[in-house]
Amino acid sequence: MSVISHHDLVVLLIGMATMLILSRVASEMARGAKLPVVMGEIVIGIVLGPTLLGNFAPEISNYIFPAEGHAALALNAITKIAVVMMLFVAGMEVQLPLVLKQGKAAVFTSVLSMIIPFFIGFVTAWYFPEWFKQLPEYRLLFALFFGTALAISALPVIARILIDMGLFKTKIGMIIIASAMFNDLIGWLIFSFILSSIKSPDASGDYTYTIFYIIGFGLLMLTVGRKLLDKIMPWMQQKLSWPGGVLSISLGICFLSAAFTESIGIHAILGAFIAGIAIGDSVHLKEKAREIIYQFVTNIFAPLFFVSIGLRVNFVENFDLRLVLLVLFVAYIGKVSGAAIGARIGGFTRNESLAVGFGMNARGAMEIILGTLALQAGLINETIFVALVIMALITSLTSGPLMRLYLDDSYFNTNKQIENN
Amino acid sequence: MEPDYTKLKKRPAHPFETLAVAIAFSPRLEAILMETKRMVNMFGSQLVIVHVGKKDTHHEDVLDKLINKINFSKIKYRVIWMEGEPVDTILKLCKLNIVDLLILGALEKENLYKYYVGSIARTISRRAKCSVLLLTNPSINPKKMRKIVVNGVDNPKTIHTLKATQYLARNEKITDFTVVQEVNTPMLSMAIAESGTEPEVSKIKKEMQEEDFNKLNSIINSIDSQGVQIDLKVVKGKPGYAISHFARQNHYDLIVFNSPDTHLGIFDRIFTHDIEYVLADMPCNLLIIHSRV
Repeated sequence: MSVISHHDLVVLLIGMATMLILSRVASEMARGAKLPVVMGEIVIGIVLGPTLLGNFAPEISNYIFPAEGHAALALNAITKIAVVMMLFVAGMEVQLPLVLKQGKAAVFTSVLSMIIPFFIGFVTAWYFPEWFKQLPEYRLLFALFFGTALAISALPVIARILIDMGLFKTKIGMIIIASAMFNDLIGWLIFSFILSSIKSPDASGDYTYTIFYIIGFGLLMLTVGRKLLDKIMPWMQQKLSWPGGVLSISLGICFLSAAFTESIGIHAILGAFIAGIAIGDSVHLKEKAREIIYQFVTNIFAPLFFVSIGLRVNFVENFDLRLVLLVLFVAYIGKVSGAAIGARIGGFTRNESLAVGFGMNARGAMEIILGTLALQAGLINETIFVALVIMALITSLTSGPLMRLYLDDSYFNTNKQIENN
Repeated sequence: MEPDYTKLKKRPAHPFETLAVAIAFSPRLEAILMETKRMVNMFGSQLVIVHVGKKDTHHEDVLDKLINKINFSKIKYRVIWMEGEPVDTILKLCKLNIVDLLILGALEKENLYKYYVGSIARTISRRAKCSVLLLTNPSINPKKMRKIVVNGVDNPKTIHTLKATQYLARNEKITDFTVVQEVNTPMLSMAIAESGTEPEVSKIKKEMQEEDFNKLNSIINSIDSQGVQIDLKVVKGKPGYAISHFARQNHYDLIVFNSPDTHLGIFDRIFTHDIEYVLADMPCNLLIIHSRV
C-alpha cells in the first residue's frame, strides 16, 4: 500500500489550513458586506493561485500547492469528494412535494424558466461556436452544456436572498424556491448525461443506454429507494448513536450511490444528488441532523472546493470581456424572461413576474460547480469557465436589488402588516 | 331536470343540513349506519343513503331490515340506488342533493396497490366538492368524539375549517379543540448554514415561527369562541406528517383538514405531502372541510 510521505503530508496540511483559514476570513468579510460567501472563497483561490501568488511568488505558491506529487493528488481527491458532498446537500434541499404543492404557477414557472434559457443557451452555442473557441467534436455536448448552465439556479443563494428580503414564505418566495428545485433536478440530470457522454463517447452517437441508465436510476432511487430510506431512518435515529449514526450512514449512502453511478458510466455527482433528495425527503430526518450535515459540508468541504478553483485557473489571463458580456447577456435574457413568462401565465402580475424572473436568476455556487466539472472533463476551456464564474457571481449579487425594483413598497408593507398582526 | 347548482356556490361549510352516507354491503355496514344516525341526530340533518350498485330484492331486504333495526323512524331519509362508476356516481349524487357532509367508512391503511391506484373512499375524499368524514373504526355503539385536532395551515380556507370544527365541537358538547401549526423549514438550514452567526440564525428562525404563529393566532382570535376554546400548538415536522404523528401519539379521535387546493394525483401519493400523509396511514377519523371559497 502506497503511503503519503512525511513531507507531502506536511504540505497537504499546510495547504488545507491556509485554504480554510483564509477563506473563512474572506467569507466573513463578504458576509459583512452582504456579498455571497462563495465570493470570498473564490477570491482567496485567485489570491493563492496562479493569478496572484503564483505570478509574484511562484516558489511559495508551488511549495504550499504543488502541481504534482502525492500532496497534489490528495488535495485533488479531497476536492472531488467535496463536490460529491456538495451535490448531496444540494439534493437534500430538493423537496419535490413542494413543487407539486405550488400547483399551476410553479409548473409554468419551473418549466419555462428551464426551457427558455436552455433553448437560448443551446442555440447560441450551436450556431455561434466561434464565439466560444470550443473543440469541434464537442459541439453538440457543449451546446447542451451551455443550455444547462444557463438553466440551472442556486437554491441556497436564492433562499438566502428571500430570507433577507422577508419574502421566504410568501407566494412569490415559494414559487421561486419550488421552480429553482425543479430546475436543479432537471439541470443535474442533463449535466450527468453530458458528462457520461464525454467519458464514454459512443461512435454511433447512440445515447439510448446512457439516458436509460440516468432515468432508470433516478426513478428507482426517488420511488423505491426513497421509501426504503424513509423506513430505515427511524431505526437509525433510535438505535444508533445520535447524530453520529445518522451522519455516517447518510454520507455512506451518498458515497455508495455516487460510486454506483460512477461505476455504470454516469458521473458520481448524480448518485450523490439523487441520494440527497431521497434522504432529505424523509419525514424522520431530524432538523438538527440536517443542519449538522449542512454545516459540515458547507463550512469544511465547500471552502476547500471553491478555493481550489482559483488554484487551477488564472483568472487574469483567461478573462475575455466580450465573452463575459455575452454570457451575462444570454444568462439574464434567458432566465429572467423564461421565469417571468411562466409566472405571468401562472397568474402573477407583470411586476411580480419580473421579480420572480430576477429572483431565479441567481446562479451562485451551483453554476461554479457545474463549470468546474465541465472544465475538468475537458468540455470547456478556461476562458469560458472564468466567464461562467463571473456570471454566477454577478447574477447572485444583482438578484436581490433587481427583485426589489419590481416589488413596490406596498408589497413589503403588506407582508410586514401580516407579520405584525 | 337540471339541478340548481347555484345553491352550492358560496354555500357555507356548516351547518351540515344534509348528510349523505355511501354504503357497501360489507360487515361494517351496521356500524357505519349507527355512526351516521348519531351524526344526523346531533346535527338535526336530513339524510341521503347512497349505494352504487344493482338494486335487487336481496340487498333491499338487508338494508330495510337494518334500517328498521337501527330505527331511523325519527330521521328524514332517502335511499338512492344507482349503477355506475362508484366515485363519479357518489360525487354526482352529492352535488345533486346539495350534500354538506358525506360519511364514508375507510381502512386505516390500504394495501400498496390500492393506495397508489386509489381506493373509493380516498379518491372521493380527494375530489369531493363537499365536506367528507372518513370513519376508520365505526362502531355499532358509537361514542362521541372527545379530542379533535385541526390542521392550522396558512391558507384562506383555514378560518372556515376552524368555524366548521367549532360548530362540530359545540354539537358534540366539547369545550375545546386543538389547532396544530406545523413548523418545517428545511431550506432555511442550508440558506443560513454558511452565512449566519448563531444569534442571527436563531433570530431568523424565531421570527419566522412567530410570524406564522401570530398569523394563526389572529385568525383564532377573530373567531367568536361560543363556549369552545381553541388551543394552539406548534409541532415541528413535515406538513401533514407532523400533525398525523401528533394525532396518533396523543390519541385524538378526529383530525380535521382543509379540502385540497389542487387536484391530487398519483404523483402526490409518490411524493407524499400534506393530507396525503394522513390518507396513507390514518391516525384516527378524518374530516375534510370543503369551504367552497
